[in-house]
Amino acid sequence: MAEIDGEFTMFVRERGAALLRVAYALAGNQYAAEDLLQNALAKAYARWPRIRGDAEPYVKRILYHDQVSGWRRRARRVEVPVAELPERPADRDGGQEADLRLLLLEALRALPPRQRAVLTLRYLEDLSVEQTATLLGCRAGTVASQSAKALARLRRLVPGLDELSSRSEVTR
Amino acid sequence: MTARLDETLRRAVRDLADGAAPAPDLAVRAIGRGRRLRRRRRLTAGAAALVAVAGVVVPFVLLRPRPAPLPATPPATPPATASPSPSVRPTPGANWTVAPLVLPGDWVVTRAQLTGGSGNGFLLDRSQGRGRYVATDRYDGIYPAPTGSLVAVVEEDRPREVGLIDLATRKTRWHQVGRALTRPAWSPDGRRLLFTTDQRDHFGFVVVEPDGTKRTYPVSRQRYFCTDYCFFVWTRDGREVALQQTAQGKARSESARHPRSGVQMFSAENGLPTRFEPLPGDPAGPWAWSPDGTLAVVQGQQEPLLVETATGRVVNPLPTADVTWVGGDRLLYRPPDESGDFVLADTAGRELIRQPLPEQLAELEVSVAPR
Repeated sequence: MAEIDGEFTMFVRERGAALLRVAYALAGNQYAAEDLLQNALAKAYARWPRIRGDAEPYVKRILYHDQVSGWRRRARRVEVPVAELPERPADRDGGQEADLRLLLLEALRALPPRQRAVLTLRYLEDLSVEQTATLLGCRAGTVASQSAKALARLRRLVPGLDELSSRSEVTR
Repeated sequence: MTARLDETLRRAVRDLADGAAPAPDLAVRAIGRGRRLRRRRRLTAGAAALVAVAGVVVPFVLLRPRPAPLPATPPATPPATASPSPSVRPTPGANWTVAPLVLPGDWVVTRAQLTGGSGNGFLLDRSQGRGRYVATDRYDGIYPAPTGSLVAVVEEDRPREVGLIDLATRKTRWHQVGRALTRPAWSPDGRRLLFTTDQRDHFGFVVVEPDGTKRTYPVSRQRYFCTDYCFFVWTRDGREVALQQTAQGKARSESARHPRSGVQMFSAENGLPTRFEPLPGDPAGPWAWSPDGTLAVVQGQQEPLLVETATGRVVNPLPTADVTWVGGDRLLYRPPDESGDFVLADTAGRELIRQPLPEQLAELEVSVAPR
């Protein structure tokens, strides 16, 4: 028992921060992210002797599945309020890019969990479409359609999204 | 998507992830929660371990006797009530593992396992005249056939295979099934297994015989239009399988179940389409249909519904879609009230008999089968 606790604590100490980033990107806020991650870690701890050599992928699989299936169980998505999104700036000046980035962050939080899970896997974890499909247990076509829906929604919520992309290209 | 937009999104998602603040007690809290989870699993396995020690012969692959004792006091047994509706049956006593748990409607509990499958749970061994529960703690999913002595098992480490244990011969055989599989579903006669396969460009269903013979039938999801959650289920007579059909021309949203126009049936023998039933939702399995096939219980877009199969007309809502139609107008289900009890209800959802389960099963996912 002490050996398991020691190994597990070491694993969380080394990888906890990185896993919490993933959980935060999935859940959109600190409280939900910690709850999501704690649940995944608890399951990992309970099965530690079987998964100790493969713990990080195991925890990530649970994170993604719990996030998506938790939503399914609730049947109705818990909406993230977007009513307080910053107004689109009327002029384009130095502070506008920061405003747009803030707007984009809020818009990401407003995406349905499955769409946010796809974007997290693709852009935070740098997985391919096929790898994302495998992890989520769906078809690659579903990943592509979820990405397209997510993008369409982001464009609606952030009217300057394409402009921001052009600007990023110039300033990089 | 352009490379620029790609990069903008990548940066935004990483900015979002950077919002995570340190959580210093993660390991401690996870260990606490993990220990509670493990204790709960052991409690379920512990009770039936005594049955094994008592001499029930079962395949060694299924049993790992544990020294953990049964709870000292039997679970509280509410008195049989004289109230007219519903009548409450007594909670089974501490020695419930020595005989099949018979539910109202004359069905029995065949398996109980943690939802999602951890391997821990109980399995009814009805082979060779037996009728006792044995402990299970080895597989990630255990699926006893509704009749006979076969048990299908799955392991996360063997995602393309299914194991078939014959409790009568105590032999286990593993069979290759395919990729991207759902969990297995037994035909009502317990002679075939059904899988949905969701490989890229190879959606369809697979029927596996007990000897490992398999037949794979591709089904076009464009022609038989299904979105959201799509999986095949047996019909009550076991001759066909049914696939949910999304209603075309109606608005679909990520935030709600997709609207359904019905279910398309396919022959389980040759995979050919046979007929269509205009059900406004998803049947949970073969027992969702009434014995005469005129009614069915489905999960509608908003709520569980009792519907006419010929017209799709909604008769009335029900508390849950996960029902077993046990007789002409009797439904067996666990209401979503967190009691874990089974109830026998009429088709309007009026509870007639309530059957509490043993304490060890109250929080587990339970499978039932005809007695």
